Amino acid sequence: MASLELTSIAKKYGAVEVMRGLNLKVQDGAFCALLGPSGCGKSTLLRMIAGLETVTEGNIRIDSTDVTHEEPSRRGVAMVFQNYALYPHLTVRQNIGFSLSLAGATKAVQTEKADVVAKMLQLEPLMDRRPAELSGGQRQRVAIGRALVRDPKVFLFDEPLSNLDALLRVQMRLELAKLHQDLKTTMIYVTHDQVEAMTLADQIVVLDKGVVQQVGSPLDLYNAPANRFVAGFIGSPAMNFLAVSADGSDLVLPGGGRLAGAAQGRVVEVGIRPEHVRIVADGAGLIRGTTRVVEQLGNTSFVYVDIPSGTFVVEVAPDATPSPGQSVDLALDMSRLHKFSADGARLAN
Amino acid sequence: MSVTSTSRRRIETGAVLLTALTAICALLWFFPIYWAIITSLRFDQDTVTDFALFPKSPTLSAYIFTIENSNLLRWYFNSTVTSVTITIITVAMAACTGYAISQLSFPGRKLLWWTILASFMVPVSALIVNHFIIIAQIKLLNSYAGIILPMLLHPVTVIVYKQFFDGLPREFREAAVMDGATEFQLLFRIFLPMNWGVTTALAIITFIGAWNSFLWPFLAAQDETMMTVTVGITAVQDAYGVAYGRVLSGAVLAGLPVALAYLLFQRRVTQAITLSAGIKG
Repeated sequence: MASLELTSIAKKYGAVEVMRGLNLKVQDGAFCALLGPSGCGKSTLLRMIAGLETVTEGNIRIDSTDVTHEEPSRRGVAMVFQNYALYPHLTVRQNIGFSLSLAGATKAVQTEKADVVAKMLQLEPLMDRRPAELSGGQRQRVAIGRALVRDPKVFLFDEPLSNLDALLRVQMRLELAKLHQDLKTTMIYVTHDQVEAMTLADQIVVLDKGVVQQVGSPLDLYNAPANRFVAGFIGSPAMNFLAVSADGSDLVLPGGGRLAGAAQGRVVEVGIRPEHVRIVADGAGLIRGTTRVVEQLGNTSFVYVDIPSGTFVVEVAPDATPSPGQSVDLALDMSRLHKFSADGARLAN
Repeated sequence: MSVTSTSRRRIETGAVLLTALTAICALLWFFPIYWAIITSLRFDQDTVTDFALFPKSPTLSAYIFTIENSNLLRWYFNSTVTSVTITIITVAMAACTGYAISQLSFPGRKLLWWTILASFMVPVSALIVNHFIIIAQIKLLNSYAGIILPMLLHPVTVIVYKQFFDGLPREFREAAVMDGATEFQLLFRIFLPMNWGVTTALAIITFIGAWNSFLWPFLAAQDETMMTVTVGITAVQDAYGVAYGRVLSGAVLAGLPVALAYLLFQRRVTQAITLSAGIKG
């Protein structure tokens, strides 16, 4: 177990700067998810922590030890790769024990440690199989076992569930959560799937274009996004946004609806999550629109409503779902309204 | 319905014709080999008089004569020593070079790669005089080293290895690096064992090429005791004039190991040819 501290990290490929001035502190035993869209630099950051990419500027400390220029195998980290990277010519036992064999451990030690890991991950019946003979979920567990056997201070996961089908992903997510609870080892987890990040992590780092947008707990990010990017990125379906104009102390919505007393000097846009919008009786709402598509999920439904400025998503109870093509009035829960300035910063309510 | 059966009949006729044509081509190709084998099984006086498809009274006399009156066993030994050595060194060097060019970053890497590609463009026969002069100057003619050294130049093998290593996902390397593997361990414990098929295939075609090579061993080994089997059988011809049965028995004996190697490792040889086809083509 160890804490991780990144200070003023910058990464350049030639003249192209992909990351600059990144600071991050991950507490000992935390499960930290690096979340962001493709190309935001999350995998690059993970690979720099692993030692697979050089750091252009700044330093990386694991448990107060500067490992910025240390060899990957000497950093006390272990990584689970997106495509597992299991050696196809070795059995599960040999894959798990490979790092021990390189370190010169005896066969007895290798077998003993591999067996402990196998028991933990329920891999015992598979130990003599090769990776080609395993299912996706089993391969994933072997990859975790290979990392586990090294007894690392920090676990690094690079989108480990992205190759699994939806059902298996949920199952493996649960197993990872249990593993973290059992081991209490610091884990850094890269994903572009916010559901994974929200369900697994106790600390989420949202990245965009190599810059940290916000660091916080899943609920912090959901309820109090630091800016428009985080507000739009966290949540599924995404937050609804409306460009507004100020008229005295009121904010005027597209279509003429007014948010009384909501105006603040720099507000140019407001955002509201689908569950904070209600379909109300004709004339009782702020925005009028026409339902276009209805998604029935069983426990809830999402209604996509065409409004003058675009599409608005509304979450409704499954038994109160309007039909497509129906004209509806939408009311907003003013206490849940997020206000943003022109530069995307969130303004206090 | 009738259209379907007509087109099916057409396809079947086409398939029969194609099969027949292939069989005829195979027979045309195989006939000289067959003729060499049955001629080597005739008495010497019958080789120019008996043209039957199978000898009336087959004999192994030509083989017995060739074995008893030539250094054939010695030539076999020489061929084995040189071919095996060439195979081992060539494949090992090519694997290391291909790995270095594909996976490592070092000054001059691109220059090395282009040099290897350029050397591939130069036919061996264009270098043979230079080779002969150098080997003669360092006094290695009539020695195993003299035969082997110039035959270690195999750019195609390096190119095939580089392409193979290029095609492996980088995560294998990274996982091994994180496990603490050195470059040597990466090559010999991960990359090569991951697909021994490539190495086996390249080893087989290198062995066959070395065994069948004639021009350089012919120049480098002038002493009969240092000749390889392909060179040696020409000495049989020279010593005993045009004795077709004996000459062809020597040829059959010379080609036998390669034919056996091909029969045993047919799939691997085909794989090797496929691997290098894009390059040779």
